[in-house]
Amino acid sequence: MKRRAFLAAPLALLAPELRAEPVAYPLVEPRALAFPRDHGSHPEYRTEWWYLTGWVRDAAGNDFGVQVTFFRNRPGLAESSASAFAPRQLLFAHAAVADPRHQRLRHDQRARRAGFGLVTASEATTDVRVDDWSLRLDGEVYRADVTGRDFALKLAFKPTQPILLQGDRGYSRKGPDRAQASFYYTRPHLAVTGTLDVDGTARSVTGSAWLDHEWSSEVLSRDAQGWDWVGLNLADGGALMAFRIRGKSGETVWAGGTLRDAAGSVRTFPPDDIEFAPTRRWRSSRTGVEYPTAFRLRAGALSLSIEPLMDDQELDSRASVGTVYWEGAVRAIADGREMGRGYLELTGYWRPLKL
Amino acid sequence: MRSHVTSWGAVTGGAFRANAGRLALSVAAIALGVALGYAVQLINQAAVNELSAGLATVAGDADLEIRGPRAGFDEQLFVQLAGESEVALASPVVEVDAKLARESGELRILGIDVFRAGPIQPGLIGEGEDGLDTLRPDTIFLSTSAAEALRVRRGDTVDVLVGLSPVELRVAGVLSAQATGRLAVMDIAAAQDRFGRTGRLTRIDLRLRPGADADALKQRLRATLPPGVAVEKPQASLRAATSLSRAYRVNLNVLALVALFTGGLLVFSTQALAIVRRRTQLALLRVLGMTRRDLARKLVAEGAIVGAAGAALGLAAGYALAAVAVRFFGSDLGAGYFRGVEPRLGVEPWAAFLFFALGVGAAVLGSLAPALEAARAQPGSALKAGDEQRALERLRTPWPGIALWLAGLGASFLPPVRGLPVFGYVAIACLLVGTIMLMPRVAHALLRAAPRPRAVPGALALDQLRGAPGQASVSLAAVVASVSLMVSMAIMVASFRQSVDDWLDRVLPADLYVRASMSTDTAYLSPADLDRLAAVPGVRRIEPLRAQQILLDPDRASVALLAKPVDATDPTKQLPIVGTFVVPGSDDPPPAWVTEPMADIYGFTPGSRIELPIAGRRVPFLVAGVWRDYARQQGAVMIGRDTLVSLTGDANANAVAFWLAPDATLDAVSRALVAAIPGGGHLEVATPGEIRDVSLTVFDRTFAVTYALEAAAVLIGLFGLSSSFGALVLARRREFGVLRHLGMTRRQVGAMLAAEGFAVSAVGLAVGLAIGWLISLILIYVVNRQSFHWGMELHVPWIGLGILGAALLALATLTALVSGRRAMSVDVVRAVKDDW
Amino acid sequence: MLSLRDVTKAYAGPRTRTVLSGIRLELARGDYIAVMGESGVGKSTLLNLVAGLDRPDAGEILVDGVDVTRLDDDALTVLRRARMGFVFQAFHVLPYLAVGQNVALPLALLGVPGRDADARVAEMLAAVGLADRGASMPRELSGGELQRVAIARALVHRPAVVLADEPTGNLDPESAAQILALLRERIKASDATAILVTHSHAAAGTADRILTLTRSGLRDGAHA
Repeated sequence: MKRRAFLAAPLALLAPELRAEPVAYPLVEPRALAFPRDHGSHPEYRTEWWYLTGWVRDAAGNDFGVQVTFFRNRPGLAESSASAFAPRQLLFAHAAVADPRHQRLRHDQRARRAGFGLVTASEATTDVRVDDWSLRLDGEVYRADVTGRDFALKLAFKPTQPILLQGDRGYSRKGPDRAQASFYYTRPHLAVTGTLDVDGTARSVTGSAWLDHEWSSEVLSRDAQGWDWVGLNLADGGALMAFRIRGKSGETVWAGGTLRDAAGSVRTFPPDDIEFAPTRRWRSSRTGVEYPTAFRLRAGALSLSIEPLMDDQELDSRASVGTVYWEGAVRAIADGREMGRGYLELTGYWRPLKL
Repeated sequence: MRSHVTSWGAVTGGAFRANAGRLALSVAAIALGVALGYAVQLINQAAVNELSAGLATVAGDADLEIRGPRAGFDEQLFVQLAGESEVALASPVVEVDAKLARESGELRILGIDVFRAGPIQPGLIGEGEDGLDTLRPDTIFLSTSAAEALRVRRGDTVDVLVGLSPVELRVAGVLSAQATGRLAVMDIAAAQDRFGRTGRLTRIDLRLRPGADADALKQRLRATLPPGVAVEKPQASLRAATSLSRAYRVNLNVLALVALFTGGLLVFSTQALAIVRRRTQLALLRVLGMTRRDLARKLVAEGAIVGAAGAALGLAAGYALAAVAVRFFGSDLGAGYFRGVEPRLGVEPWAAFLFFALGVGAAVLGSLAPALEAARAQPGSALKAGDEQRALERLRTPWPGIALWLAGLGASFLPPVRGLPVFGYVAIACLLVGTIMLMPRVAHALLRAAPRPRAVPGALALDQLRGAPGQASVSLAAVVASVSLMVSMAIMVASFRQSVDDWLDRVLPADLYVRASMSTDTAYLSPADLDRLAAVPGVRRIEPLRAQQILLDPDRASVALLAKPVDATDPTKQLPIVGTFVVPGSDDPPPAWVTEPMADIYGFTPGSRIELPIAGRRVPFLVAGVWRDYARQQGAVMIGRDTLVSLTGDANANAVAFWLAPDATLDAVSRALVAAIPGGGHLEVATPGEIRDVSLTVFDRTFAVTYALEAAAVLIGLFGLSSSFGALVLARRREFGVLRHLGMTRRQVGAMLAAEGFAVSAVGLAVGLAIGWLISLILIYVVNRQSFHWGMELHVPWIGLGILGAALLALATLTALVSGRRAMSVDVVRAVKDDW
Repeated sequence: MLSLRDVTKAYAGPRTRTVLSGIRLELARGDYIAVMGESGVGKSTLLNLVAGLDRPDAGEILVDGVDVTRLDDDALTVLRRARMGFVFQAFHVLPYLAVGQNVALPLALLGVPGRDADARVAEMLAAVGLADRGASMPRELSGGELQRVAIARALVHRPAVVLADEPTGNLDPESAAQILALLRERIKASDATAILVTHSHAAAGTADRILTLTRSGLRDGAHA
């Protein structure tokens, strides 16, 4: 699934709006994904995102969490407009860098309507541009180029493993209703090289990252409050994704997950096999919101302790996109040993995510 | 020193108390002058502030802005600019003045890309019930003042006219207070779709990357932008936006300062006479050891006290006046410069200080001459009784006055300074002050020439005035100043009005006029509409008029581009051509006829070849004539309808003139026209007579303020007359005592005073009329021409001036009589004994 | 010619000040008296009452048999214009009128035709020794000359009553003597009844008779 709180609120674009022109969005039904076509954009669907998260390290040994997201939305407006500015397709981009020395996230974002070759999402392969921000699949390598207010990154992400199709061949259930589903595949264990600039000097970094590409037309059930999601590149070459959708009283409404072990065998977890048990809570002094930033995660027989790179990876995007959530680099620990690294996303702890 | 100060305080205080009535008048006059000036300043400033705040909302904190004609430019320019390496963000805007369908009036609608406008123009971002309201094709956000003006709230609808069909827009919210001015915001795509602007933009605001050189980029872009598209820093567009009203504002300010000027003259009269009355007292102080300089300084300080009191009162009154005026007449005081601007008065310390200083300055200047005169007097002779008269008898050398006159005449031939008739004002000031300085001589000559009446009071009055021309001149200064200013304004306004009247005759030759909208971008008549209208029974001929706007100079307001069928071999039939016209030859470019402001500002003279930016191209035209147009101060260019259609494909019309068949009736045709086309009910149908009436009403409303300011000047003039007469009568009460002894009845003394008042006023009127006539020439041919570029014919309203003169004469005589009466009520009999 | 009968005058104020009380005076045609008295005793008030410029609180003032206390202001003014002449301490020659015009003023007010008036003015100016100064402006004249003009103006219309209030107060003794002589001469020449108010014994001495005004009334003789 994914998520993505900032995408949710900007202009609450995820919302199935009553007033929107009636648009027939295609339903998500199991089908075989075809690449490279399905690396590209699917503009007929309501929402779509390319979501990169990863850990990088500079020459001095400093760890950074990096997140780059491009998001596409078809609001169902101006479908018949003659204007080149018609807001038929909206693109958003978001990037954040977690720097433990800084103890806060650096982040920035772009929101645009598609058009004029300035803001585009190719249907042929992954090639998304929002003005000067871009993510594209160049041969086998993903390249992200982002310049924010107080950071810049130019990173290449080279796949080292095959594509991991989530759910049923890429058909991923998001709720009890079969329509609540998305197409979802993951590129775990991307080898990262490139430059990261967080304090005015570009530094060479290397690391490991995770790409999700997901598109759908239907959204969450109405009683969802938010979700907890985690994606981990395991140290042994395995990859684990787990999520749960929380109800209004914190109960788990739906859950799911996938584990691909080092040997490449994939196990998809039913809802009952996933369990998120908070072990530590952290309260933001800025917003007063309390997040469970550490978990005990159970996925089938696998039990991991999820610990954040730093507690304060809160994103306060009220001024621009209207919500507050937590998205950050985490470690997976078992028996005192680091078993993997990845990203954790916590939404709906500020206010119910308005979808 | 202390006792010295105290004693002076006693002298001044005593003088103030003894002189309380006239002192109050002086304070009132200064207060009136300051109040008018400050009020005008406040109102103008409020309007300009509001206008700039409105522009600032639109421009946000852009580093550069690209502005094009109202018809817009190709949106590909946006792509080009967004791709410039220095540009961090480009915010495209489609701006239209939309005609409201349900009520009269218009609404400025900005079509914005909410994503790109957000960081640059945050004030334009509305908050809807959901985020999509900023993108929906049928939603609109209103500024607070627009919502107030249209009396709508979130959820209500606003109908605007596109062509002649209403388009309903849902009010999705009200913009924050940051968005000032009467405007509305909607999605840029919706604006393009709804208002027929597909592919067009009217402006692009640029935010540059940190470190980028805005000026360098501006220079580079200037070379590449299509014709008629300008790139400027936001301040420049504010300048352009306010340039149109600048001359009007400055003229109004100057007019208000005239009131202050006459107020200063009043202080002069009062102080002069008060000092004369205290002459022996002051001489005594000199004898007792006060130096000349001390005396002069202290007398001037008295003037300053009067000025400060008046100025303080004036500031308060001015604020109140401005508040009332803005509330009831709007910030343009009815002149129509600031439509859609909702002014709020703001007190700026510098303005308050400036007008306070002007008030004090006027009073100080007014008391300077008498103070110096008093200080110059020989204390010995001043101590002798009867010397009061002598002070006023002296005729000074005429040369400074003559020099000022010549300087004034010379200044009237100088060109404007930055679009303002600075030397015109200088000329008027020189002529006025010069005249006032020459007044003793002029009065002397005129009174010498006057026949001596047979009746004793009249004869005595004349003798008295002839005997002391200086004294008469003191009263005359304020009268001459106010009369001449009033007369000059009356002549100028009458000339203007008559010229407008004549002009209306020439520009309204048809039988009937139908209008979709002249000033908005959205309402128009389509070619199909025109065909239907032409086919209405009783219609013999139609003449469609299209109005667009083009930008010739980024520092100035847009110019109207008009198109209608014009007979190039004789354009006088369709246009009020001024001077000669040129018939274009076969190898000439198409003809364009420009208005007087265009000829003045841009130097478009008949026969010259010009290029106009139309449809993104530089199109050559031949200036085939200059025509008079009082409707568009920014200037207008008329081209043939066929030319415009072939250049732009725009065959719509804003208005149509109809010539009817002989047997057709206006009523029947009007009704048929409205019924002939869909949306015909939105048309305005008017006869030439109705248009003339409306135009002249607008004209009169525009000049209502000038009338008010004039009336204030005259009022102050009468104050001056009353004040100086009262003072004179007091000073002459011994003389009246003698005359009473000699057997003059009270009535005869009154008659004598009335006769003096009459004679002084007559002289003042005569001189005021003459100078007023002269100043009116400067107003018409220099100030007006340079300020507004309007040509007009001199037209002296003899009857009105006659009535005005008679009324003023009567009023002045009465004023003299009343102030004489009041002064006579003191015991003049005892005054013969009263040897200081 | 001139009768004052029990004339009383008081000025209202915080303390009412009685200035004149029970004044009686009878003057025949041609009488020329001088009134002396301390400052503030009411000499000028007496003149003002006679001139009708002030009204008594009680008593009658008859000029030529007419009780001036019963006349209204206009009638009084006309009476003054026709029957009285004034000479003031400060001359009060109108500065903006030429000497001749000043002298002609009473005649003009009486409506005497121009030619007659001119003759009378010329005659009067000659009589006061200013025959060639008719066109001069007052500012060109000395104090003594100004007072001559005033005397000419006071007598040009042949008034029945002449009232002079310290006519030499502003003049040097020599000029004063000349003026007093001239005044007496002109008064006698026109057979007018005259009252001269003065502090000066010398001046008073030129009158036919001297009266002294005291708090208790008018008494004959000069008191120092």
